[in-house]
Amino acid sequence: MSRLAERFRQGGVFVWLSATVLAFCLAMIIGLVGYIAAKGMGYFWPSPLVQVQTPDGPILGEITGQQPTHGEEPAKTQFRVGNRDIYGQDFRWVPTADLSAPEFPKDALLIERLEYGPFIGRIVSLSHDGQPVATGPAAITEAASRLPETLRIRRHIQSIEKGQVGDLNRRIERIRLARRKLEEGRDASALQALDAKAAALQTTYDELQTSLEQSRSESKAWILGLQTVDGQTRDLPLGSVVRMVPANAMNRFDKLGVYLSRLWEFLADDPRESNTEGGIFPAIFGTVMMVLVMSVLVVPLGVITALYLREYARQGWVVRAVRVAVNNLAGVPSIVFGVFGLGFFVYSLGGTIDQLFFSDSLPTPTYGTGGILWASLTLSLLTVPVVVVATEEALGAVPRSQREASLAMGATKWQTLWNIVLPSATPGILTGLILAIARGAGEVAPLMLTGVVKLAPSMPLDGTFPFFHLDRKFMHLGFHIYDVGFQSPNSEAAKPMVFMASFLLLLVVVILNLFALNLRRKLRERLGGSTF
Amino acid sequence: MRDDMPSIPKSQTRAQRMDRFMAFTISGGGILIIGAVLAMLLFILKEAAPLFLPPLVRSAGTLQAPSSDGAWVDESGKAAVLLSKSEGLKALRLPGGAPLPVPVEGPALPWQALLPPDSRGECLVVGADGRLSVARLIWSKPPGENDPAQWQLEPHWLGGIRLEKVPLELLHFRLLEGGGLGGGSTLRVVARMQEGLAWAEAPLDATETLAWKPLQLDPSLHPTAAAWSADGRNLFVGTREGRLLDLDPETDGALSTAEFGEPIQSLGFTLGQMSLLVGGAQGKLAAYQLVRVNEVFQLQAFHGFPRLGGPVLGFQPSLRDKRFLAWTPSQAVVDHLTTERRLLSVQLDGRGVAALAPKGDLILHANQVSGTLGLWSLDAPHPEVSFGLLWGKTHYEGYEKSEYVWQSTGGTDDFESKFSLVPLVFGTLKGTLYAMLFAFPLAVLGALYTSQFASPRLRNTIKPTIEIMAALPSVVLGFLAGLVMAPLLERMAVGVLVYPFVVLLLAMLITPLWGKLPLPFRNAFGSGREVLWMVPILLTGVWLASLAGPWIEGAVMGGSYRTWLQSSMGVTYDQRNSLVVGFAMGFAVIPIIFTISEDALSSVPRSLTSASLACGASPWQTAWRVVLPTASPGIFSATMVGLGRAIGETMIVLMATGNTPIMDWSPFNGMRTLSANIAVEIPEAPLHGTLYRVLFLAAFLLFIFTFILNTVAELVRQRLRRRYESI
Repeated sequence: MSRLAERFRQGGVFVWLSATVLAFCLAMIIGLVGYIAAKGMGYFWPSPLVQVQTPDGPILGEITGQQPTHGEEPAKTQFRVGNRDIYGQDFRWVPTADLSAPEFPKDALLIERLEYGPFIGRIVSLSHDGQPVATGPAAITEAASRLPETLRIRRHIQSIEKGQVGDLNRRIERIRLARRKLEEGRDASALQALDAKAAALQTTYDELQTSLEQSRSESKAWILGLQTVDGQTRDLPLGSVVRMVPANAMNRFDKLGVYLSRLWEFLADDPRESNTEGGIFPAIFGTVMMVLVMSVLVVPLGVITALYLREYARQGWVVRAVRVAVNNLAGVPSIVFGVFGLGFFVYSLGGTIDQLFFSDSLPTPTYGTGGILWASLTLSLLTVPVVVVATEEALGAVPRSQREASLAMGATKWQTLWNIVLPSATPGILTGLILAIARGAGEVAPLMLTGVVKLAPSMPLDGTFPFFHLDRKFMHLGFHIYDVGFQSPNSEAAKPMVFMASFLLLLVVVILNLFALNLRRKLRERLGGSTF
Repeated sequence: MRDDMPSIPKSQTRAQRMDRFMAFTISGGGILIIGAVLAMLLFILKEAAPLFLPPLVRSAGTLQAPSSDGAWVDESGKAAVLLSKSEGLKALRLPGGAPLPVPVEGPALPWQALLPPDSRGECLVVGADGRLSVARLIWSKPPGENDPAQWQLEPHWLGGIRLEKVPLELLHFRLLEGGGLGGGSTLRVVARMQEGLAWAEAPLDATETLAWKPLQLDPSLHPTAAAWSADGRNLFVGTREGRLLDLDPETDGALSTAEFGEPIQSLGFTLGQMSLLVGGAQGKLAAYQLVRVNEVFQLQAFHGFPRLGGPVLGFQPSLRDKRFLAWTPSQAVVDHLTTERRLLSVQLDGRGVAALAPKGDLILHANQVSGTLGLWSLDAPHPEVSFGLLWGKTHYEGYEKSEYVWQSTGGTDDFESKFSLVPLVFGTLKGTLYAMLFAFPLAVLGALYTSQFASPRLRNTIKPTIEIMAALPSVVLGFLAGLVMAPLLERMAVGVLVYPFVVLLLAMLITPLWGKLPLPFRNAFGSGREVLWMVPILLTGVWLASLAGPWIEGAVMGGSYRTWLQSSMGVTYDQRNSLVVGFAMGFAVIPIIFTISEDALSSVPRSLTSASLACGASPWQTAWRVVLPTASPGIFSATMVGLGRAIGETMIVLMATGNTPIMDWSPFNGMRTLSANIAVEIPEAPLHGTLYRVLFLAAFLLFIFTFILNTVAELVRQRLRRRYESI
């Protein structure tokens, strides 16, 4: 007994205890990242379509979840049955005990379409302009061969809608504004010229609309006759089919093809169905754009501040206090920066800019509302301490001998800084920038107040003059996660999308951080800086 | 004199000019940037400050005007209507006083009785012919026209009901919409007759004579004022004996009574007609409301205001907020119901009638003695907020007692905003507490192990991993907490809560076993790598806990922990609760505490640990008794920084709690924090409105709080660094 007490006093137990705690922390991190990765990456792989009999009729769908027996509740299986337009919901929980042996019918299909989520069932016929073309298995092959053409037409329509129609709309709007301005001056001839221009634009617009209408009716001519597993039928224009996945009839390579095509759609396409389907390209683009603008702003801000604090300011208690204050800004909650951004940048600065330069379009605000510029500025304020700290550290690590050598050669202070100190501090500044980017990319709260929206009609960078639109609202990966996961009417169906978006965001942030940490470690090894 | 000096090469002068320019630019720029960043605080403060500015009262002139018995100010404050029994309507332009045209139609003059207009401009008149009419005063304004000279006063005269008897004084009336047979308005009026109070009810388009129904009161009471409740069903009566009665006029029964304390002079309402204002003959001012206590409505005095000089002659509410005007012969005041703040107090010299503009920004007093008209403007943009309201308990309309409530917006225009920051601060502290409870032990023990026991190679992997953890976007953590963890925890709460104990037990059990293994094996695989051996234990723990959870639930809690919580402790279980938040936010805080603590622990001078070990202390004893106390300021500082992060964390709280501003320490309930509150409400807050400024105040608090925490942490850390250097 006394030996046990002695061992207890020696504390071997506690070493193990603290090891447990640490292992738990590490397990949490790895588990979290792994869970998100698995959930996100696994989503695009076509899962088999299972057909089972239940007391309430047959079910055809993907198995998406299992719940073990819990108290009095029996074990349940979750099916994704799709067909939201018919069943009202995508998912169904069924007591596992009620299920018959599963079958995997080869002719079962999952059809991704533009509306109402996927259809899960069978194709019975294909018709063109009301004339049946094929039935049964022939219809599937025929539809599959027709699909690329309709996809092409749809893409064509989209590009016209987005490009030319949008462009025309903007020009008509500009004429409307110019008109409003002229009406005050009452210059009749100028007004007439404008009206003629507007009429010409309107004609082009109408022509475009007619050709669009034609393409649309073309894409609606091919109709798929569909049947669900419980015998209900639906007609679906081939034009609104995104992808047909006969999961049970596919081999591994076909599935890989579907996987890659889905992954590509996710990365490169616009969202559909209130962000729960389709891609997240605008969100990725918005995030990158915002981070770029932020970087452009934060580097000079941070480097100048650090240069001043380290090289120019008289070192004393004031500078020490300022340094502490700037460092501590990094600990101020990001929402406070958001509030400041909203009050100062958006309302005060933006409002003033609107009154001075964009008074024509008031009361519709141009800069007096959230936008990518204000969001980036807010984030650059938020991340400036990171850059300042990293730059100061890098400046301090440049050996004194090098500076003195330069000064002794007759170089001025600035020449020394520019030619000697800054080049060797560049990796340090870069580290700061990367850390700032990693922090900025993951922040959501301040952006919610300063310019992020759930669905932006146009990107901050496009083909219309002046190409880069700092006043536009934008989409953001982090906000996308919040919005789709928590504000979406159908968050269960959107969950995989959120996982994927989370994974993407996590990937970006973790890679950036690893890169920065590595860089910093190398620097410290080279320069022998302190860690505490 | 300088001719003999070698001429300075041009490039050098350019270099020097450049040098001076850059010195100037960088110093100027640096100071500017630092100033701008620090000015953030000032800007936020500036936006919040108007909440506490005293209201601005200005005299807007005195005019000569005919003696009048009632007054009404237009919403714009640019025109007023005066009513007198002998001369009918008169309209004036404000502030000049130039007369404006008035239409001639209306009840025959002189009027036998007049009830002055309320803030909406509705008044009651008994004409010379003994008919009762309701007038709705309306200015007809061409769109965009700001000049009152272009407006038309168009009073809508309704009714014209023949009276059986003309009362001595009309006391109060209400138009009840849709009460009549034809769906028109029904008029309910109460008046003082020769023999006492009487009331009557009739559709506005009634053709028959209006019959007065006398109110049977206790003969010892002498009624002085009366007013209908908002739905017209109850009649409030004030008496000379200082008793306030709530009557059902149909049965004459007193539903409830309250003692006011001095003779009641007048009654009135605030916006929303829920709070009854009572004014005494000696200047006492209080607000009453009907509150349901034990299923019975009772009159309850719930706000008191500073006493006025002289008898309170009347009230007029604003139509924008809960402020109201009250006046006596010697004083006129504007008070705010919720905060009990006195926004305006002006001296008067003589009896008269007063009116408050519907926006509450202009006060008019028509003096019946001197025949003058006094005007005052009042600029009080945020009367609904006071220090006491933000931080203290306040008695709101419809509440039984004073409470801390945050409810900034409601469905109706007459909603009483409730801006108590206490529930939000409480929520912030609660979330932070649960996060720290989870994070602190894990982070500090983990850091202790990493710095003292882990092998260097292991340490070099652990540290970056944990630093990566710090960089995880909080929106991802929030998403996982809200959509994955919360449902999981709901299903197996008991198992999850049991898990730490299971793992600790397993860890305790393995140690003696480990000691039995051969020493070479232990040295080769154990020392410094204990962490790796723990992984199977953690997994076994998961398995055991998942077995133990349902077992405990079945054996101890009778099948379902939720019903058990509900029945044995009266605690409800919310899916998104403090445990989830504590876990997720703890996850965000662990790396911060870990990194700083680890730095402090591993920087403890070697000489100290060597001395301890040389004296025969075991590694754990050294770590616990020497290293930890030495580095404790560093751990304190780490905790401060972690606290700061937890206090300001927004997305996790936003996503992992229900965001209900309740005050309850239960770990199974949600909360609303200051930061999440800002994120939820500021997009909808009107610019420079009260809510907007209160949210800026919340941001200011967050700023100050975290800034202080971080500064303290930094100072402690600097001192510790110096101490290490001196050892």
